[in-house]
Amino acid sequence: MTVAPAEKAGITDLPKLGLGLGLRNTHFDHILNHWPDVDWFEAISENFMDSGGRPRQVIREVAERYPVVLHGVSLSIGSSDPLDMDYLQRLKLLAQEVQPQWISDHLCWTGVMGLNSHDLLPVPLTEATLDHIAARVHRVQEILGRPLILENPSTYLDFHANTLSEPEFLRALCERTDCGLLLDVNNVFVSCFNTENDPSDYFDSFPWSRVVQMHLAGHTDCGTHLIDTHDQPVRPEVWALFALAWQRSNGASTLLEWDGNIPSFEECHRELLKAKAYMKGGLAQLTGRYAPMPGALAVSNPVNFLVPDVMAGSAELEDR
Amino acid sequence: MSAPIELSDLQQWMQSALIEPKATSRQEIETRVRSTSRLSAVAALGIYQNSYHLRIAACMRDQFPALCYALGEGLFNDFVAEYISQAPPESYTLYDLGRRFAGFLQANRPDLDAPESEPWVDFIIDLARFERQIFSTFDCAGAEDLHLAQLTTPDPDLCVQPSLSVAAYGFPVGDYYHAVRQEKSPQPPEREPVYLAVLRKDYVTHTVPVSFAHFIFLQEMCRGGTVGSALSAVSQQLSQDLARVKLAWSEVSEIRDNWIEAGFFLDRSRA
Repeated sequence: MTVAPAEKAGITDLPKLGLGLGLRNTHFDHILNHWPDVDWFEAISENFMDSGGRPRQVIREVAERYPVVLHGVSLSIGSSDPLDMDYLQRLKLLAQEVQPQWISDHLCWTGVMGLNSHDLLPVPLTEATLDHIAARVHRVQEILGRPLILENPSTYLDFHANTLSEPEFLRALCERTDCGLLLDVNNVFVSCFNTENDPSDYFDSFPWSRVVQMHLAGHTDCGTHLIDTHDQPVRPEVWALFALAWQRSNGASTLLEWDGNIPSFEECHRELLKAKAYMKGGLAQLTGRYAPMPGALAVSNPVNFLVPDVMAGSAELEDR
Repeated sequence: MSAPIELSDLQQWMQSALIEPKATSRQEIETRVRSTSRLSAVAALGIYQNSYHLRIAACMRDQFPALCYALGEGLFNDFVAEYISQAPPESYTLYDLGRRFAGFLQANRPDLDAPESEPWVDFIIDLARFERQIFSTFDCAGAEDLHLAQLTTPDPDLCVQPSLSVAAYGFPVGDYYHAVRQEKSPQPPEREPVYLAVLRKDYVTHTVPVSFAHFIFLQEMCRGGTVGSALSAVSQQLSQDLARVKLAWSEVSEIRDNWIEAGFFLDRSRA
């Protein structure tokens, strides 16, 4: 068996992939027909790990031509339920097949008592939670045979129980487990706004040496709070944070997520390539803040983009 | 690796608050969650509560587009809200979300106490079953990497390909589904027994109406049967002489050829 690029490697051995895009169902045809000039793709693990149909075939073909990273939404590393060994084995099988550069998921929990909310729910940031999650990260890394990369989620509330900041929690988790981090720059902006923290303070205490990857995305301003909707261009304030994050992370692999009202592949790619200006030290225009939409029914962590348009992909009724 | 009790306790509380928002008191929320100058603790938790329902309703609309059209989005969302309240998602995969939906609709049909079933309720349940059949076929194991049978493949070597399924319905749900797909604004159809084979070939999902006899035949083959056992099943269920059924199968090769060309069968000898 071929050894995957990241297998048995520490996070310092992981490559800097440049600018990548999320591999989305709606772009499959464009990618297979044009093989666009994109540095790499990030695939949502759950969209491919159980597939016996076209998604599995597409990721095989894409992985032959581009570096691919697997990004999960269902590991539930922070849950008080036991780890789902069936899920981990399926993830491992997919990784053996597509040889991803690394595997990531979120610092969150998705459900307990055998249920799944399909949301990325916040964990209480305490020493006890840290002990619990560190033990689970060790176990996951043993099973997958590679470091786990964890993302800071977008959060909309703060628990009274919290005794650590998110950067402090992530720093301690990395020190205990040698895991890596996926810094979602938009999530930093969203979470800091919602919990009334300063993104500069977040950045100042963030363990930058552990950052393997970054995410960019758009959010919705609901007036009293921001929601991580992934359904529009990156906001100027987030580009400004990205310029700083690019320097501090020493040019970590960067990916644009666009998961709601997904535009054409070319438009997503154009949005991604805006990053180049900020990588060269450009400063974002911080004026012209988008108008808030109070009371908007925005959905955090949208996942319906993972559901394929089966109706569009069906043939007409046949008469045989 | 047992979880700290305070973590289990908080997560069970928060999950219950998502599933049953009305059962969670303001006092409980304020004990657990901080308020900010812009957002009360109740409003902050409300973001998760709203998103939970909206997110799953969006996924269900994508999995049942024709049913959503038939019911209208508002009523469809109401059914989904009740569905996930009774049967919250259990799987890590969103593809599992709609697995129990037709069963939920059947168990909660409004005409349970009526002397006769309401046709529109039967239609809604049938349509939910059909859309699940279609959705499952999209990404299940298929024949794309396997050897499909050829016209020359002998009968004993025919077996059904992995994605083929057949189902009986009391309404022409396939016609309705495809009319919605073509944006023809169809009306709910009249009762009419239909039998539909659904399969995937070259990553495209096909729906093929079949006769009752063909349904019996294909159902037996989907259960792992052979052409021989499928012909016996037809003979038994239609009370037809087996020799006559076998003769019809061998003389009317058009059906067999059509099915082979449509990708119904694998060549067992090349598996």
